[in-house]
Amino acid sequence: MGVVVQTIGFGIAAGAVISLGAVGFTVQFGISNVLNITYGAFMTLSAYLGYALLNRGLDVWLALLLVAVAMALISVLFNRVFLGPLQRRGAGFVSVVIGTVAAGIILQGVIVILVGPGAITYGAQFGTTVSALGFTFTVAQLIIIGMTLALMLGLHLLLTRTRIGRAMRATSTNRTVARACGIRTERIIDLTWLLTGFLCGAAGVALAVTTVTFDFSLGSIFLIYMIAAAVLGGIAQPYGAMIGGIVVGVASQLGAAYWSPAYQDVVAFTILIIVLLIRPRGLFAAAGVTRRNLSAT
Amino acid sequence: MTGWEYYAVVLLVYFGTFLIAAWGLNLEFGVAGVPNFAYIVLVAAGAYTYAVLTLGPSSGNGGFQHYIFGARLPFAVAILCAAAVSAVLGAIIGITGLKRLRPDYQAMAMLVVSITATTIVVADTGLVNGSAGLALIPNPLHRMSGSKQAWGYVAMVGVICCLVYVVLRRFSSGPFGRLLRAMRDDEEAALSVGKNVVALRIAVQAIGGSFAGLSGALLVGFIGGWSPSAWLFIETMALLTAIIVGGMGNDWGVVAGVIIVPTLIVQGVQFLPTVASNPELIPQLGWIILGLLTIGFLFFRPAGLIPERRPTARRVRSDGRGAHAGDAETDRHGSRESDARVLSFISSLPEPAARLREVRTGAERGDDHILVVEDLHRDFGGVRAVDGTTFSVERGSITGLIGPNGAGKSTALGIVSGFIRPSAGTVRFDGRDVTSVPQYRRARLGLVRTFQLSHEFGSLTTLENLVVAAPRARSESTLGVVGGRRYWGREEREITERAMGLLALFQMEEKTFERARNLSGGQKRMLEVMRAVMTQPTLLLLDEPTAGLSPRLTHRLGDACLALREEGLSILLVEHELETVDRLCDTVVVMVQGKLFAQGSMADLRTRREVQEAYIAG
Repeated sequence: MGVVVQTIGFGIAAGAVISLGAVGFTVQFGISNVLNITYGAFMTLSAYLGYALLNRGLDVWLALLLVAVAMALISVLFNRVFLGPLQRRGAGFVSVVIGTVAAGIILQGVIVILVGPGAITYGAQFGTTVSALGFTFTVAQLIIIGMTLALMLGLHLLLTRTRIGRAMRATSTNRTVARACGIRTERIIDLTWLLTGFLCGAAGVALAVTTVTFDFSLGSIFLIYMIAAAVLGGIAQPYGAMIGGIVVGVASQLGAAYWSPAYQDVVAFTILIIVLLIRPRGLFAAAGVTRRNLSAT
Repeated sequence: MTGWEYYAVVLLVYFGTFLIAAWGLNLEFGVAGVPNFAYIVLVAAGAYTYAVLTLGPSSGNGGFQHYIFGARLPFAVAILCAAAVSAVLGAIIGITGLKRLRPDYQAMAMLVVSITATTIVVADTGLVNGSAGLALIPNPLHRMSGSKQAWGYVAMVGVICCLVYVVLRRFSSGPFGRLLRAMRDDEEAALSVGKNVVALRIAVQAIGGSFAGLSGALLVGFIGGWSPSAWLFIETMALLTAIIVGGMGNDWGVVAGVIIVPTLIVQGVQFLPTVASNPELIPQLGWIILGLLTIGFLFFRPAGLIPERRPTARRVRSDGRGAHAGDAETDRHGSRESDARVLSFISSLPEPAARLREVRTGAERGDDHILVVEDLHRDFGGVRAVDGTTFSVERGSITGLIGPNGAGKSTALGIVSGFIRPSAGTVRFDGRDVTSVPQYRRARLGLVRTFQLSHEFGSLTTLENLVVAAPRARSESTLGVVGGRRYWGREEREITERAMGLLALFQMEEKTFERARNLSGGQKRMLEVMRAVMTQPTLLLLDEPTAGLSPRLTHRLGDACLALREEGLSILLVEHELETVDRLCDTVVVMVQGKLFAQGSMADLRTRREVQEAYIAG
């Protein structure tokens, strides 16, 4: 029993990082209507930026904050100079995805050329361990879980309780009509990329903290975990992505513990494929927005 | 063999195998619009199949590599098995198309499939030897030696490329290619004219898959080894880049792309000296160039170096003009005897005449209603769009469906056509319960809809839009693909003539060879109705066909509807313009708030005050 509980504990800790990234991914897709595969490479970039700051003697959590801010700006820039113009040139949905894949490949290549292909580590940033109810967490894990919860709650309140949030949802549903109603959709889209870039940066550093060592491929595999969480939760559902993240995290840890560590990824991905086949709009999908976002035409 | 000779051989074999794979992916993605981002998995499946079928029993390797199903089959058999396995796998992946999702979402699903396949193969070392992969895979030409073997392999790949091209053209060009492009341009419209989109997608992915398997088997027979690092997701990107650079949907464009992208760039950077401090530099540089090339083309030349041509336009032009140039000319300069033309147009068709005879027999059986809708319900997340509607359409009548905005008219029409599933209720068409019959099958039964917003096959010409809608065309059958022009050529000419007749009737001949996406809004609406008529329906469902039409076009469309009714066609017409309703409709159904409010003739309804009020108040 103790092993199960502990494994679930690992899963929750892993799930918190997945959730953090997945919330950014899902909101980005939901509101800006771009399925951004570069997101994974951006997380890798975040991890390396965090590494650079750490080497300058910064505290890891301060580094996380700085990287998140930097990634927020990079993310806005990415949309302004790349994806926005690409969409305006009439590129279809799949062309945009191919564009983001290509951008991810370029970014990953640049990282390898600049830093080298070898694995790096943040060192032990875990802090002391805390035990309660049979769970054992490190302080770092608790900080990440707390941060994830706080960001999630903030985002949820922003989307549902504020004028800006309403404008974001309006933009997501129909950009042209939203603009006609006097919403400055460009700003709303900028804001979306700013927020989700922040989450991406925070998630990238958090992932690097929880992973012992990592290399340039960090984000590309992790992207699948985030997609799994986002799809499970229903696109554009911050809470859904969070629950999805925890489910994926726990399931993959249980798979690793009771089957074989080699199957950790397989479990997460299999969940995703099953959900995609049976209920592609996710388990917690709201009826309106998601249907419009995902139906074939 | 000199170093350069060897290099040339390697390059040519890579070129050939890459080309076969790129053609397959182009058929799926470029022509049919299926974003198969898991394509490289099918190449891998072919390679592994060839490997385990030629390596002999796993135990015979001295235990250095483990795999399932070891056998020592003849090479030709192994290569064909590889193609078959990948075809089956492709078809299975094609089933994901059952859920109609946005294409980028499908692409993401495929990406996940690709990466999952890699992780499974790596995790299960007993399957095909995990991440170490398989080695010592025999070369089909192992009896030859040295230079002879190398050039022999090149020749073999060359011959297979030619054979693949012949097969490919059967699918990517001609009427079948036109059908696939129609599906790519607008899936809903394809369904609405009776095309079985899911079956088509699965078929295309099986064909594309077999190409992938062939490519993988040929590649692995040459290099002798195969491991997960050879078929990472990024390899699909290399194929996609070749397609985008060369020209999506164009088989010769793909050849250009394959010459430029992998052979010149990915292989080209191999010439750069390696940097000892950073061994990843050179390969990464190759990928970076690939990424930049992709983005550059997406931005500045999205159609590629050799853009897709209109697949059948010119051929049809020669056929169609030959048969119909005279008619088109007289009509353009001639009178406006459109009513008479419709009559002659329909009665000259053998098939609908037969169909109409059936309809009349139905009428003789005493079944006066071609469509009976009973107690239909449909909710959208708490909104009761249709809430217990019951109405019917009499055989050979034009029935109007009117009501205030939000009354549920379009939803009701969607349910009748099979596009929307009802929460409850039944739809009976021609005496048969079709409530659970899928949309494309209803269209084939003769129950065809048009859309409120135009759904045209944008990359096809106006004429092709009509020709592609013809029902049960020989060219769309397996026999048609195998038999080729000899089998369907005559029928194609007949269909084209019919389409030209319709174009004349709607006075759209000038736009015959215009791509549909370039038509004006009103012309697209006319095209929509013409395309529906091309399917030879017995009940036509028109969803606000006159919205956005000029009074003249509205009148022309009305004439056509009346004439079609004279021929026995029944029409259910959703319409807001009461003048049009008054002119065309025999019976009018009034819906308010999802319910049947009144049914009767327009004159009858006019006298009823509550109808007037409901309509105006809504």
